[in-house]
Amino acid sequence: MAEKEKILDRLRQAVILGETEECAKAAQDAIDAGIEPLKAITEGLAKGMEVVGEKFENKEYFLPEMLLSSEAMYASLDLLLPLLKTDEAETKEKIILGTVEGDIHDIGKNIVKAMLIAAGFQVIDLGKDVPASKFIEKASEEKAGIIAMSTMMTPSLMSMKDVEDQLEKKGLKGKVKTIIGGGTATEQWKSRIGSDAYGKDSVEAVNKVKTLVEEIKAAVKLIEKRRKKKRKK
Amino acid sequence: MNPYERLMAVLEGRKEDTDRLPVWCSTRTSTLDGMKKFEAFWPEAHKDPKKMARLAASVYELTGNENMSVPFDMALEAEALGAPCEYFEGKIKWISVKKFIATDIYEMDIPEHPSEFVERGRIPVCVEAIKTLKKKYGGKVPVIGIVNCPLTSVSSYLIEPVEFHKNLIRDPERIHRIYKTLNPYYAAVANAFKEAGADVIVFTEEGASLNNISPKHFHEFVKPHLTELISMTKPPRVLHICGSLISKELEVITSMIDCGAEAITIEKKTSMSEARKIADEHRPGYVIGGNIDPYNVIHGSSIEVIRDRVKRVIEEGTDMVCPGCDYWIETPTEHIRAFVNAAVEYGTPPRWKKIKTNLRSSTRSNL
Repeated sequence: MAEKEKILDRLRQAVILGETEECAKAAQDAIDAGIEPLKAITEGLAKGMEVVGEKFENKEYFLPEMLLSSEAMYASLDLLLPLLKTDEAETKEKIILGTVEGDIHDIGKNIVKAMLIAAGFQVIDLGKDVPASKFIEKASEEKAGIIAMSTMMTPSLMSMKDVEDQLEKKGLKGKVKTIIGGGTATEQWKSRIGSDAYGKDSVEAVNKVKTLVEEIKAAVKLIEKRRKKKRKK
Repeated sequence: MNPYERLMAVLEGRKEDTDRLPVWCSTRTSTLDGMKKFEAFWPEAHKDPKKMARLAASVYELTGNENMSVPFDMALEAEALGAPCEYFEGKIKWISVKKFIATDIYEMDIPEHPSEFVERGRIPVCVEAIKTLKKKYGGKVPVIGIVNCPLTSVSSYLIEPVEFHKNLIRDPERIHRIYKTLNPYYAAVANAFKEAGADVIVFTEEGASLNNISPKHFHEFVKPHLTELISMTKPPRVLHICGSLISKELEVITSMIDCGAEAITIEKKTSMSEARKIADEHRPGYVIGGNIDPYNVIHGSSIEVIRDRVKRVIEEGTDMVCPGCDYWIETPTEHIRAFVNAAVEYGTPPRWKKIKTNLRSSTRSNL
């Protein structure tokens, strides 16, 4: 195995096994060996997280294992992200992510964040106990198309509805898509509050976000087409 | 036969004596309707024993649901260990924690002796409420004390959950230490409830389901320590765990049974028919309750659907018709009434009376 390939494999393995120190070391070695940071992320860390996702779906991995893998990935990302060329970072689709108001449990949210980053999204993490207005302000400010909300507690389910209500009021419904998830969120709750998607776990959340991004892109294309037609007339 | 006699017969291993299946809620029972009708609103009802007793009895009074339980929240024990709680004065919201104060037991405010622990926080409020309920309803409706077990209690209100869960792998000794240290204190709460007159203690350990931790970790941490905790208390006891509990590689339902409670209750993520089958192979006739979805079915579905689900869960082999979790507080009273009535209708006569006759005939044919 070539030296560079060996390092990429170490990154993958460290993520899979949740070895934080080794993952940071491998990232440093990748940088020293002249591996492109983007390549270290997409072919090392992201591939590792893919395996972690599979293991989660196969019920080999549970919350603690996922958390250690995410931690290992973050340790590596801390070194690699600052080295990304700005255009590489900017072309990524932006996701606004947070645990809704009234809940300080962000265990699930942190796993989703790791999986989203691994899948190539730029995640703007607002943390926990995030008021509805903050989600919306940040989405406008960052020109993000997607708001992803999480809660573990039944009581704070209502805070998800607050976000939907405020989007409606500001006329942003449909322009900004939302996805909900977490221990107490359900498909039914999604329909009841008018959210765009529900992810039952981190793997499904990433897939649904990908679908939402496709929908947004398709809508943008359609609008551009219409504009062009109008111009021609 | 009254609700008290019925549930006690089932939990004391005298199923045959019952006229029908009990219908009750093994987790937390309070509804907005109850708060309004009995003028016992959150958060006052968490702190005032009179209001607590009124609210605890409200669901029974309004619907015939066959139990009354305290407390209504999951933070009781953690708060007594120093967790700073937010009550949302003036609003009706679940108690939550303002911040996580600990990383290990050393940062928790643990009194020297468990007897001091039960004097703390709102534990005396619950004790007082149980006494009131017992006086009024004793021998008629079962009075229940709920204890939230250490893993869920600590990882929801005392230690940052991400850090807590990483330590299941990184520092297992710490998790053992937390359980081992706290068990006598949590047992003291159960025993104080019992002494005040609680007929049954329900232990909830929602954080221990396979939605969170692996079957391996369940065996490593949850099973030995819950067995110890339950052994420190007096029967009858019920162990409730939300979430999925079916694992093909490493059995969890049987371990839950082996923890030593007289019954277990489960929620919709665990299939009743599968749980029944596993339990009957492990310990024939072991009491299982559950597992109607309190939010989507009892709160959110039509009376027809509620009745259908109750009928189905009885066919699947439940011994006690229960929601899988707390009643959602906005549940309309008539929905809970329909749930109770359906259990009365479809649960008479109880399944075991039918089994007994079947067993007799099959033994005969074998001969």
